[in-house]
Amino acid sequence: MRHKIRMTRFVVLSLLLVLTSFGTGSVQDVSARDRVQIRWFVGLGTGTEAEQIAAQEAVVSDFNASQDEIELILEVIPFDQAYDVLATQIAADNAPDIVGPMGIQGRADFPGVWMDLDPLIQETNYDLSDFDPALLDFYYLEGEGQLGIPFAVFPSFILYNKDLFDEGDIPYLPSNYNEPYIDWEGNERPWDMSTLREVAMVLTVDANGNDATMAAFDPDNILQFGFGNWAGPHNDLRARDTIFGAGSLVDGEGNAVIPPHWVEAEQWFHQAMWEDFFYPNLIYSQSELLGAGDTNWFGTGNLGMWHTHMWYMGWGTANLDADWEIAPMPSHNGVVTANLHADTFGIMKSTDNPEAAFTVLTYLLGEGANDLTQVYGGMPARISLQDGYFERFIEVQQAAYPDVEWAEKNWHLVTEGLSYPDVPNHQEGLPRSAESRARYARYAEEFASDPDFDVEAELEKLRLDLQAIYDTAD
Amino acid sequence: MSTKLHELSRSHAQRRALKRMGGRERRDALWGLFFITPWIMGFLAFYLMPMVSSLGFSLFDFTLSAPEDARFIGLDNWQRMLFDDPNTWHSMKVSLGFLAISLPTMLIFGLLLAILLNAKHLVGRNLFRTLFYAPTMVPLIAAILIWESVLNPSTGWVNRLISLSGFEATGINGLRWLDDPSLVYFAYTFISLWGIGNAILINLAGLQNIPTELYEAAAIDGAGWIRQLRKITLPMMSPIIFYNLVLGLVLQLQYFIVPWVLTEGTGYPQGSTSFFMVYFYKQAFTFQNMGYGATLAWLMFVVTLIITLVLFASARFWVFYGGGRED
Repeated sequence: MRHKIRMTRFVVLSLLLVLTSFGTGSVQDVSARDRVQIRWFVGLGTGTEAEQIAAQEAVVSDFNASQDEIELILEVIPFDQAYDVLATQIAADNAPDIVGPMGIQGRADFPGVWMDLDPLIQETNYDLSDFDPALLDFYYLEGEGQLGIPFAVFPSFILYNKDLFDEGDIPYLPSNYNEPYIDWEGNERPWDMSTLREVAMVLTVDANGNDATMAAFDPDNILQFGFGNWAGPHNDLRARDTIFGAGSLVDGEGNAVIPPHWVEAEQWFHQAMWEDFFYPNLIYSQSELLGAGDTNWFGTGNLGMWHTHMWYMGWGTANLDADWEIAPMPSHNGVVTANLHADTFGIMKSTDNPEAAFTVLTYLLGEGANDLTQVYGGMPARISLQDGYFERFIEVQQAAYPDVEWAEKNWHLVTEGLSYPDVPNHQEGLPRSAESRARYARYAEEFASDPDFDVEAELEKLRLDLQAIYDTAD
Repeated sequence: MSTKLHELSRSHAQRRALKRMGGRERRDALWGLFFITPWIMGFLAFYLMPMVSSLGFSLFDFTLSAPEDARFIGLDNWQRMLFDDPNTWHSMKVSLGFLAISLPTMLIFGLLLAILLNAKHLVGRNLFRTLFYAPTMVPLIAAILIWESVLNPSTGWVNRLISLSGFEATGINGLRWLDDPSLVYFAYTFISLWGIGNAILINLAGLQNIPTELYEAAAIDGAGWIRQLRKITLPMMSPIIFYNLVLGLVLQLQYFIVPWVLTEGTGYPQGSTSFFMVYFYKQAFTFQNMGYGATLAWLMFVVTLIITLVLFASARFWVFYGGGRED
């Protein structure tokens, strides 16, 4: 009898459990079904490092918990594949709703796919007074509208490896803009491209301990280079040459042009690779010495000075077993130019849920911005978030990389770099942007492979080829 | 003339035979058609229609990300491809140059290895056959990445092995297989040889179909190995070689995966790996110029067709079928 009662209880309990689970499942299903799904695509800019992904996942989780109308779904694609993946998704009519963070170039590479946010801004009375109007204009495109709202800016600067300077008894670089450089003989020099060249040559050392200024220097056995640019030797000449002044490869009439100061810059860089040997050529850039093809040369500890952006801070020096410091950008002909990257999120025209996507966008620019800018390394574009930014940034980096004295770096140079932006920006769109970039990337690869490269003739050839590409654009 | 008459009379005879079909035979024929219908539908949907569509696309400025903005531009894409775009002929030259190196290498190695693996004096024949076929089972992408490491100028075992001979193969001035335009085709051919197993298998099957009596008779007549190879093996294998040649031609002209995985389509080093299909893919999908991409695809189709037709035309002079040369 007791056995029967037990059995009955067991059956009833089981039934209840099954029914409960069905009930709960139904509620969850209904809830999930009711939510509008918004896909957030990350990969065209920063946001693909492990700690950044974790922070983004936390933002997604917070957003999803904050309301029950929208389900935000994060898609992170590695940077080197993101362009193709997004292009394929667009072609397959399976585009995400929101893309970002992405720079000006990311936006320019996909012309015509971004939604004009202006109607949604008007409709929701979204307050734009917290943004610098000049930055807002960055994302306004004639004929297409307001394609983004500024999210973060990434000024550029020079990072230098203090240990390598110490080894060579080379005085440190200036700590302020407009401050001269005091060289190893105690001479005061302007901190410009000419001085940078000389410092870089002294920093470049071969296997026998000779530096690049010495007659016995062996260029086939270099162990340490003086200077490099985050864009590498065979990637982006616009990013590289802007240190000589801002410019563009297209003029107002849509003609292909090579600004004269960029011709000078290209000759300077070619000499740096093949005659002065302080800038890695293609072969060295792909050697184990500089990370075997990885573009983070500075992180190997074998590069003295590095022109990079704020997004590099943190992860970039994670494996660097040396002390480093931030220095101002050098001037050229008395003018300082600090390349600027500016990131945003874009909503795709093809989204089925523009209002929901805009809600997510405003969350990322608002509640989520503080956490995201910390991990992205960008300075918030929202004016109200800029106060205390570096204190928060240092706190985050100190926790992540405790071996570095983050508070002691020259962070004021980052903010001051914003006073020397490159206008026009080096990432501005070109006609047939991706194809034009592929063309000049090929130029840059040959430039970095060939010691006999005729810079002027090849630049003219590049100009003609770019013109042919521009001519095929609408 | 006599051939045409022969074909005409044969088609008349076939038609008469169809007319003479009884109810059962007709039913069988209909069932046959029914069973091949899925293939016909697949052919129409996945081959013929895309081909016709791509011909249409080639007349439009059609951007993949904004198909609604497509506009008719007539033959502009064709003019750009044939006359204005230096990359078209550069990439075609790259593809044909690589074809000239890799196709004969693949054919010769495939045949020689099959002959070796068919040799009756070879000890452990089955083991070697398995070993030579095994790399074909390795996924291509994995194989390419393995080869990238194997050919690494500093750490790859190819250069280390060469260095043992005293030649300085490693280091900055060493052999840079994947970075040197004069070496890269050979490196890519090595990688292609990795997947030669199928060609060996087909050649092996062909070799095993050659009657042994022919070799015995030749041996009695005093023919040595070379003469037997020239007078028996090669003529008897010619249909198989022809098959491998045509298949290899089409595959090599569509060469894409290896350069794409190794260079992401940059053409590195110095444009030497800007294969035609890589350029086509970049135009169509990376640059999203689908209209121009379709035009490029048609050029490759026409070039492949012409070379294949030339090969078929040449076959009558060197391919021997069971009843003699093909007429």
